Amino acid sequence: MADDQPASSPDQTPPSLEQLLVTLRGRVEHRRQSGEYPPGLEAEMESHFERITGRPPTPSFLLAELEAAVAELGAFAYVRDPLPLTSRVPGGSALHRLVSKGVGRQIQGVLLQAQAQSQAVARTIALMASATNMLADAYDKRVIQQLDDLQVRLAEEQGRVQELLVRLADVAARVPGAGVDTWYELDAFNAHFRGGADDISMRYDDLAQRFVGCAPVLDVGFGRGEFLELLRDLGVDARGIESDARLVEWARSRGLQADVGRAVEYMSRLDYGSLGGLVMIQVIEHLSPQHVIDVVRLAGEIVRPGGRVIIETVNPTSLYTYAHALWVDPDHVRPVHPSYLGFLFGEAGFASVERVDRSPVPADESLELLPGDDDMSKRLNANFERINGLLYGPQDYAIVATR
Amino acid sequence: MTEPCGVGLHQVLASASPGDAITDLALGTRDLLRRVGPSEIYARHVAPALADEVLALERYRPPHARNLLIVHASIGQSEVHEFLTYRREPLVLVYHNVTPGRYFEPYDTVFADLLEVGRREVERLLPRVVLAIADSRYNARDLEAMGYRDVRVVPPVMNLRRLTGQTPSDATLRHLETVPGPILLSVGQLLPHKRPDFLVEMMHVAGTYLGMRGTLMLVGHQRLERYARAIKEQILELNLSNVHLVGPVGEAELVALFRSADAIVTASEHEGFCLPLLEAMAFEKPIIARACAAVPETVGDAAFLLPAEQGPVLFAEAVAETLSNESVRRQLVAAGRRRIDELERRPPNLSFVESLLEVV
Repeated sequence: MADDQPASSPDQTPPSLEQLLVTLRGRVEHRRQSGEYPPGLEAEMESHFERITGRPPTPSFLLAELEAAVAELGAFAYVRDPLPLTSRVPGGSALHRLVSKGVGRQIQGVLLQAQAQSQAVARTIALMASATNMLADAYDKRVIQQLDDLQVRLAEEQGRVQELLVRLADVAARVPGAGVDTWYELDAFNAHFRGGADDISMRYDDLAQRFVGCAPVLDVGFGRGEFLELLRDLGVDARGIESDARLVEWARSRGLQADVGRAVEYMSRLDYGSLGGLVMIQVIEHLSPQHVIDVVRLAGEIVRPGGRVIIETVNPTSLYTYAHALWVDPDHVRPVHPSYLGFLFGEAGFASVERVDRSPVPADESLELLPGDDDMSKRLNANFERINGLLYGPQDYAIVATR
Repeated sequence: MTEPCGVGLHQVLASASPGDAITDLALGTRDLLRRVGPSEIYARHVAPALADEVLALERYRPPHARNLLIVHASIGQSEVHEFLTYRREPLVLVYHNVTPGRYFEPYDTVFADLLEVGRREVERLLPRVVLAIADSRYNARDLEAMGYRDVRVVPPVMNLRRLTGQTPSDATLRHLETVPGPILLSVGQLLPHKRPDFLVEMMHVAGTYLGMRGTLMLVGHQRLERYARAIKEQILELNLSNVHLVGPVGEAELVALFRSADAIVTASEHEGFCLPLLEAMAFEKPIIARACAAVPETVGDAAFLLPAEQGPVLFAEAVAETLSNESVRRQLVAAGRRRIDELERRPPNLSFVESLLEVV
């Protein structure tokens, strides 16, 4: 005990137990502060016991119990209890003694044999316990090694998977038509570049009219739902799909029938001839070339004979579009040439394919013709018109195909 | 002493077995009661050795018109409770405490439920009880918490020097001579509310941080297998080769253990009385205990009592101090002697019977 610790005085008048208790409390406090008692000692002992009571017995405990039981068995000794020799029958005691003497040797022999067998059993059990222990140890080591190996391999595989995921995301981002992940609201983009909902409705009223009598109509990529509203106003049963769930929610809130879906995936689930009409407004330029081909083939299958398909898109035969609408939207993959699209519908078995030019370039932006009527002016104006046709052709076109 | 009262004064126990403190109390009480009137003991379970002394409960056929039933409550027993419920005799409740079930919840939920049922049975007897007797003030407070009023406190009847006069087991004495001393002895069943885990932790602190050598012997039945296993694991994991779970022993072995012990320890949190501490005093051994439940009123000033909220660290310090300080030991032993004398001077049997007769 350190000199500066509070101490009791054993050889003097005994202190009262209360005083001794105060001394001991001081001693405990001193040892705690000096670090002799580690911090949290009692709490740790308490939680140690709680852990024991809350779990099944440990293998080391069971082994210790087994070893103790084997030791007890090994130490067991048979004893020949003295036979009761007294008797209340006259002469009975003498008879008992005689019998006892007669059988005593045989009993001793049996006891010795039983003792030998018991020792052999104890030895066998002890060996079994050792062997079990040894096997368990060896097994533990093997299992632990295998677990270690597996953990190392798992960590390596996880590293590889992570690397692949990063590369996959990179590759996906490079694929044209895979879409762009924008942080801005698509709604804001559309409002900025494509005009308000009323403008759109006016611009597409003529196309909507063409679906009268063609219900039900599927609007693929309905955007803000203007075309669906036009169809509803015309009394044409229509449903739309969009990949953006927020747009779908918004359309539903306005009473439109809308689902989340992507063009090819959704159309391939529809029954043959189940649609009267199919419309895609400013959508096909967002698709990969393969998806363009697939969409036309599927349209030929799901639109019933007599039904109608209208696909409106950017017109790549007007060079004006390259300077304006085409590359404003980062999600545009490539423009689809009207001749190619017309060809596809013809090949898909549509009865008639009509091209409708739309969205003319404002007149003040094209080359102005000369007012004169002389030859020179006529020849120059003819050239201007050819240049205007190439440079300032209609910004959009629509293919109207009838099945 | 008293004129015969002409009223049958019969006692009812859950079980009767030789050596059981409550059975002994009932037998001593019956002998006194027979001086004033007919008196029998009835129990639900009767050990064969007591078949001549104690009657089976189903044989209760009182030959007298007026009877009083004295009920000893120490554990839940639904058949006894049912019997009492349909009898019309006034009841005297002698409460020896029913351990709260919460101590047993982690180890034996069935037993924990049984104990709780036992406490509820005591509560439900309230309207029928004309006199409530507790064997300690602690037990009286327990009864009062259940709604009982005017609880009489009468310490149990016992011969405190019964063991000291017996011959110790030679084999045990010889074995204990080989055990590294000093020897600390704790007598009581290995049950959660007795907190042997606390004593094991105390030995860990004493050995590891105080450099105390010595051996702790935990003597008593190990009826709760899961709890006994946990204590064994605790001892194994704390690497305490000097803590021995002795298990139940015969009287000769117990006498040898008391004689060889240097001090008696208990960390029990719930005791209705705690007889082994009085036996320790009779053997003139110093006692270190926690001041829990009825322990303080049982020992008086004859034990080094440590506050209930203190942990095993202070307990270890107290044990080390007591073992190394001769004057403290002498003081505790002398106080124990005085306490035994004081208890022996009081005739509790008489006060118990007198309380009963007041009611009659």
